[in-house]
Amino acid sequence: MKVKVVTRILEANERLAEENRRKFRESGVFVMNLMGAPGAGKTSLLEKTIEGMKNRKRIGVIEGDIAGTDDAERINSTGVPVVQINTGGACHLDANMISEVLPDVPLGELDLLIVENVGNLVCPAEFKVGEDMKAMVLSISEGHDKPLKYPLMFQESSALVVNKIDLLPYVNVDIDKLKRDAVSLNPALKIFEVSCRTGQGLEKWIEWLNGLN
Amino acid sequence: MHEASIALSILDVISERCNAEGYSTVESVRLKIGRAAGIMPEALVFTFDAAKHDTLARDAELVIDIVPLGGYCVRCGGNFEAEDAYVLNCPLCGSADFKIERGYEMEIVEMEVK
Repeated sequence: MKVKVVTRILEANERLAEENRRKFRESGVFVMNLMGAPGAGKTSLLEKTIEGMKNRKRIGVIEGDIAGTDDAERINSTGVPVVQINTGGACHLDANMISEVLPDVPLGELDLLIVENVGNLVCPAEFKVGEDMKAMVLSISEGHDKPLKYPLMFQESSALVVNKIDLLPYVNVDIDKLKRDAVSLNPALKIFEVSCRTGQGLEKWIEWLNGLN
Repeated sequence: MHEASIALSILDVISERCNAEGYSTVESVRLKIGRAAGIMPEALVFTFDAAKHDTLARDAELVIDIVPLGGYCVRCGGNFEAEDAYVLNCPLCGSADFKIERGYEMEIVEMEVK
């Protein structure tokens, strides 16, 4: 016998994400889901963002990694509250993992919660965690072909932070093509060229993020 | 490679439905997966087969219908379908002003049960 199901496969995740989002709204917390490949500079961008914003916004962080607490320790030393999630193999965070650690996140004391996703250009784009906005970090040395190879993440993100821009003279990367393809996939995408090492371009990114919530 | 999470979600949805409506065996599950949804059909079948053993769907076959990326162009008014997972310009006139209407689906359409 045939039975019609007609259900979105990720509906359960989306329901949980909506539940997380309701909790964030009730506490007046703006949530950014920060994605990017391993080594793109997600944690470095977080450190610089916290440094540049912490006098204006009360920030908290959820760190997602397959294993280890290195990133949470780095964030902890900036003085903001941080919770580490170890996915134990899973390549992305999902709404349930976030919901399980929420009791440890002091939502009432925060304006901005940043969720640093597992380093990966593919799966994190698929799973909502209850965020208001997704942003991605791409280091310039990853190459200008990434938008067309990993279109979904570029389409899902509101902002693209191109990090390690100080390396541009040393790599064979056509940044104009990178930006052109990224905007073709997502005309509303905001692009920031930064270097977390030299500090170049960080101010614009921080001003933009600060103005969102 | 999040096909394993997707396979587990499919098993959750169909098990819940079978328990609620009293079906004991699932013989097949038909999915609609968009070309741009970021799913590799072969990997999804592989992980579904690996995960189904202790469930009502232990003998179920996963049937996947692929939905090509499709939409219409605002400039030339034409409807198009694409083979790739993305479109940067209207394949008919080259304009960048187009709307994608399908190709991101990730749905369980129906199942065959006993």
